[in-house]
Order: sequence, then C-alpha cells, then structure tokens
Amino acid sequence: MTTTPSFKGTHLFDRLCWAKENLDGVQSDIRIVFEDPNDMDAPAKILVPDPNWVSAAENGGVLPPVESYWELAKDEAQPDFVKHTRGYLLHNTEPVGPMTETTGPYGGWVNYLIMKDISPSIWQKWNEGNKPKMVICRKDQLPATREWRNAWKISEELATDHNIAA
Amino acid sequence: MASELRVNTLKDAAGNNSIATSFVAGGSAKAWSNLDGTGTAAVIDSFNISGMTDNGTGDYTNSISSNLSNGNYVITIAYGNQTGSWAAQANGQLKYASTPAAGSYSLTTGNSVNGSLNDFDRIHSAIHGDLA
Repeated sequence: MTTTPSFKGTHLFDRLCWAKENLDGVQSDIRIVFEDPNDMDAPAKILVPDPNWVSAAENGGVLPPVESYWELAKDEAQPDFVKHTRGYLLHNTEPVGPMTETTGPYGGWVNYLIMKDISPSIWQKWNEGNKPKMVICRKDQLPATREWRNAWKISEELATDHNIAA
Repeated sequence: MASELRVNTLKDAAGNNSIATSFVAGGSAKAWSNLDGTGTAAVIDSFNISGMTDNGTGDYTNSISSNLSNGNYVITIAYGNQTGSWAAQANGQLKYASTPAAGSYSLTTGNSVNGSLNDFDRIHSAIHGDLA
C-alpha cells in the first residue's frame, strides 16, 4: 500500500491527481444492480465501480466522507440553486481511511459507492416490497452478452447481500 | 503535498509567452472517461470518476468524484465501434432530455440513421468547467 500524504484541507481534485499518478487502478468485478421504483418499465441499471476510484478508496486518505456529497446534493436540489458554495465539505473534511470491498469506514467501499452514486430512495428501501430493488453481485453473475439488455430485471436467482447500509 | 510552487503567471525560459496559472487551471479537463459499453460494460480508464451506471442499451451515466460547481460545464464526446457493419453511422450525444448535474452526466450512443440506441466499445467523454 502506498502511503498517502496528509491531505486534510487539500482540494479533492488535487488529491485525485495524486491518486491517479501514484496508485494503480483496480478493476473490481463487483457490480451493483438496481431498479428504479419510480420507473418500473426501465431495465435494471448496473453501477460499475471506477478502477481509479477503487484504488483511491482502498488506499485511503483521498476520498471525502460520503455525507459531504449528500450535503451538496441537498444544496443542488434547492429551487434557487445557482452554484455550489460549500465545496469545502469535499476538501476540508477529514479524508476517509482505507476500505476494502466490505471492511473499513461505512462497512467498505461498496457501501460508500452505493450511498454516493445511487439515489437514497433506492438504497434506503432496497429490500422493501416483494423483491429486492438492489443486489450486489459479481460480474460473472450477469449475462455475458447484451442480448435483450433493455429487458433485464433483477432475478430471484441473484444472491442478495443483507449487509447493505440503510 | 510534497512540494508546491505558488505563482500567478508562467513564462517560457526567454521570459515570453506568459500565461496565468488560473488560465491553465480553468482550461484543464476536470474529468474524463473511456468506457466500453459492450458485453458487461466497463470503465477502461478515467479521471475524477467514481463509477459508471449502465442504464440500458447505449445509455450510460458517469458519476464525478470532485463535483463541478453546477451543471453548466461542457461535455465533449467521442465514440466508435471497432466492429459492426454500420460503424460509420455511429452517433453519441448528451442523453436526450437529461440535465447534467454537478456530480453526474448521462450519455447515449446509437445509430444516427435509424435513431436506435446501441452499445459501442469506445465511449470517450471529457468535461471542462469550474470545480466546486
């Protein structure tokens, strides 16, 4: 593991520049499959972790607390939003420590990524209703071809992970 | 950081061709990604992207790590298919009726002749704008 400089107070963009230059990307085979309850006709969506982001998450000391993104999302949802004025929440908060897929802050980077990139309306209620709306799986559990891609739905056969943060 | 230069203006060795560092910072791409939308879609390489969501055939969303200040940034897109008989008809664009957000943007790729969405094996995008 590469030693991350002390980055608190360093702009997140500069931290990501450091990570890109110093860390090797990690191609994870984790996939997060989810369905939007507000658009039941839409096919299942698949979140693919970015390899450079995964390496930054696993090395630690680069990414901001996920709550910073939630705060910025609240600002952006305001009807009078023009531009972000609280970017310091990304830059000045204590960076998150090292994570594996399932250990470390937030219970691992998979949970962090879900809470960052998927709507709370999905991950907070993923297991309500008559079938899961979100599943964490491995790439090889998905169809290898794109045939009928727009008809893909979460199937009962996909293993579910009951440790998803709520 | 290990070392840091704090200057307002850069010049060449002869003292000519000056340029403000703010010009350099403002004009640099703030994020980029190279996606493969075929098979099990994947991110080949990127910068300042946390993940890509495969929304369906020819429909993708990139999530940004270090947010832009708002959704008014510029997105440059290139795309291509290394295989397929209709590659010359390839089209890629900002997703119809979608609005870029400070932390994400959506792209679609497809056939410019019949309007169908299709998966490409090279989907490149870069964004320029102001960081939050």
